[in-house]
Amino acid sequence: MTTLSSHVSSRPIPNPKNSLITKLNAGTGLIVGVVFAVATYNLLKGENEDPGIAYNIHNRALLAAMFMWSIGFLVGIGAFIGPWRWLIGKDLTAEEQLYLAGDGQGIKRYFKYCTDHKVVGIQYLWGVITLLGVGGAMAMMIRTNLAAPGGHFITASVYNSLVGLHGITMIIAMIIVATGPFGNYIMPIMIGAADMAFPRLNALSWWVLFTAIPVLCSAWFLGGIPTGWTAYAPLSIQAGPGMNAFIATIIIFAVSTAVAGSNITATVIAMRAKGMTWNRVPIFVIGATISVALAVPAFPTFMVSMIMTALDRTYMTGFFDANIGGSGWLYAHLFWIMGHPEVYVILIPGVAVLMEIVPVFVRMPLFSYIGAVVGFAGIAGLSILVWAHHMYMSGWMPMLNGPFMVTTEMISIPTGLIFLVMLGTLWHGKPWLKLPMLGVYAFLWNMLVGGITGIYLSDVPADNYLHGSMYVTAHFHYTLMGAALTGAVAGLAYWFPKMTGRMLNERAGYVSFWLIQIGFQVLYLGMFTAGAEGQPRRVVNYASQFATANRISTVGAYLVGTGFVVLLWAVVHSWRHGKIAPMNPWGAKSLEWTVPYPVPLVNFDTPPVVTSDPYGYGKAVK
Amino acid sequence: MSEHNVDLKPTPGDRFTTFLKRKDIRETLAWAAFYTAGFVVLGGVFYTKWMPISLSTDMKSIERLMVIFTWISAPVCGLVLSIATYTFRHGTRGDVPPEDGPPIRTNFLGVASFGAMAGILTLTAVVYGLIEMNSASEAAAKDAPSALIVEVTGSQWVWSFNYPAQGVSSNELMLPKGQPVIFKIHSVDVNHSFWPVQLGIKADANHFQTTSVTTTPNKLGRLDVKCAELCGLYHAYMETEGAVVEPADFNNWVTQNGGHSA
Repeated sequence: MTTLSSHVSSRPIPNPKNSLITKLNAGTGLIVGVVFAVATYNLLKGENEDPGIAYNIHNRALLAAMFMWSIGFLVGIGAFIGPWRWLIGKDLTAEEQLYLAGDGQGIKRYFKYCTDHKVVGIQYLWGVITLLGVGGAMAMMIRTNLAAPGGHFITASVYNSLVGLHGITMIIAMIIVATGPFGNYIMPIMIGAADMAFPRLNALSWWVLFTAIPVLCSAWFLGGIPTGWTAYAPLSIQAGPGMNAFIATIIIFAVSTAVAGSNITATVIAMRAKGMTWNRVPIFVIGATISVALAVPAFPTFMVSMIMTALDRTYMTGFFDANIGGSGWLYAHLFWIMGHPEVYVILIPGVAVLMEIVPVFVRMPLFSYIGAVVGFAGIAGLSILVWAHHMYMSGWMPMLNGPFMVTTEMISIPTGLIFLVMLGTLWHGKPWLKLPMLGVYAFLWNMLVGGITGIYLSDVPADNYLHGSMYVTAHFHYTLMGAALTGAVAGLAYWFPKMTGRMLNERAGYVSFWLIQIGFQVLYLGMFTAGAEGQPRRVVNYASQFATANRISTVGAYLVGTGFVVLLWAVVHSWRHGKIAPMNPWGAKSLEWTVPYPVPLVNFDTPPVVTSDPYGYGKAVK
Repeated sequence: MSEHNVDLKPTPGDRFTTFLKRKDIRETLAWAAFYTAGFVVLGGVFYTKWMPISLSTDMKSIERLMVIFTWISAPVCGLVLSIATYTFRHGTRGDVPPEDGPPIRTNFLGVASFGAMAGILTLTAVVYGLIEMNSASEAAAKDAPSALIVEVTGSQWVWSFNYPAQGVSSNELMLPKGQPVIFKIHSVDVNHSFWPVQLGIKADANHFQTTSVTTTPNKLGRLDVKCAELCGLYHAYMETEGAVVEPADFNNWVTQNGGHSA
């Protein structure tokens, strides 16, 4: 990195003549990816008179084509040029490395294999917006269908696919919603680093994720998925070709999170500025690191479960098929060993964003920094011991329901610490009620509702009634959407000036905030009621007794949808025409506000030296 | 803070009285009382109003548990929402950031009491849940000898019930009032979840595995049986009806369907 910084002051636009890297971009990636996929499919497809074997062969060809698309795209965009050149002993020149970092290439670099963490952050941001948009549109269709009993708006098959694909799209979007854009763009600057620890891996994590998006979308053209995002076996073994798209998406996504997670963890451990001891690290960085570090062991089990599902579907291995000695419980375990840590992988960064925001807008130090760290670590640690609370009713081992109930309810204690940190920081303060700060208040209410209803669900007797009902759906939307997504949106409002150089349109921001939050309460209080009344989840149609609750939910959903459209408009409009932002519009004390916009390629002209944590607010004590 | 009399070294009692006299504390406490009361009322009304009529002691105890858990959490809601409301009401609007507040980094008493409160409430919830679980399984063990056995089969997308001792099979779930019943549940294809809503029990139907669950219907009424695990295309329609009836009516139903009274 020191060699790079010497180039920055004079800023010659690097021009590594005739180097292959100058000719590759997402377009060439697309071409090579499609060629690889089509060739693979045609090579492997075959006929067989036995429909069972034909089904296996078809699944093999489709899965292989999807993986080859991903690999082909990466080849075509030039992801492997660096390692290849190193392998043949002709490592990339400094000039070529600068070119890869996208120096002086304007908007083009967003469509290239660009190693600059700021470019990757923006790529992630638009990836997240796209996924949330697609997932949100599916949610609107689900709620439209449920507006009245009868379920005639869409067929049962399409409905089941909508439920599953909405689920997985949103899960993927929410896993990267904070650590993707802010973890990549802001976090390295926050810790005073010139870039991520492994810039090429950073680009790889984004582009691998990118290749998963068309694969996921292809599920629609292959007949959808009937299983919901949990993809329980043996239903998934029985499912049609669309299931292959689901399996391939998860495996590709797991590779991306493993790459991103180890990169972020390594960056925070190794690249902090001089003087940034562990007790001076901004809390967002701590939260993001704990989250990705939790994902690193969690996701492989999901990946493994999908590989096993794929083998069951392609070679009849029968891991999960009780007909030939397997067990659906094995799948449920593998899935939830990932599944429960995963909700905290989503939640923690969103909360950490809000914790970063509170001190700035209250103008007071973060209350009990240690409490926040212990809270995050406690949640992360306990979260790997609670997975079987999703299986109380499965019959797997009723004797263990008690212990799993205990571990689950113990999560209330570190979660309580999170509340304490927020409330302690607010207390005695006169918060500056700007858009990011409103997110903190929305979080306090939503997380309270989500958390308390979580205690009911963790209780075995109550779960006897609530499990598998709309109550569960409402509960986890309160935590994942009400808390984590609210945190991410607040983070966008907070860091928008640093990421775009402009202020987010305030009026539109407020309008969208209130539309979303009020609509959200209406939507999910209706859903809690339907669940309490006894409506199961994931149903295309329901009895007339649930009609009122569902109609209320649908009205709320339209409000939320409108709110997000307004927010999208605000983002797009402000990005182009917003008020030019000063360097530090909020008067914050963390390092990212000490660099100008556009942020220089290596972030800091002189490496910063840190002498205190970024929460040194407060009047001098008399 | 200005109310503090630094010269006289106040006793803890004095300090507490001064604390309670502070304007911010008073307003916050008022909000806390308001929200706590609100949640107590909500807990009492919401679940009793919306949950279906209970036809078994299990369902009754779930309903009670939901209410009690809401009441236990009401003071937590009061605390969180009162501080939120107070600071929100006294927040700064406009484009100029507020002045810095006091540089409070932590407060041992605050953290310790909050931690203790969270611990105690969690412990209460855990112990309460464990006791309920235990009493349910104790009752199940005690009732087993006199229990009616119902074999439940889930298949895409139908529930069927077999009463082996009576020699009756049916697609509707009829149960006699007052007699313990053991459901033995399995599936012939994918996972389903057997949910007789008004009985407050649920158990998955797995292929090649039998799960069992016990309850005692104690009230007459209509039963809705649903599937609570996504099981493919017509999952939403995998439901049937049933009823808890007087033992005599149950016996009539058995004989009408070609079985024999046990």
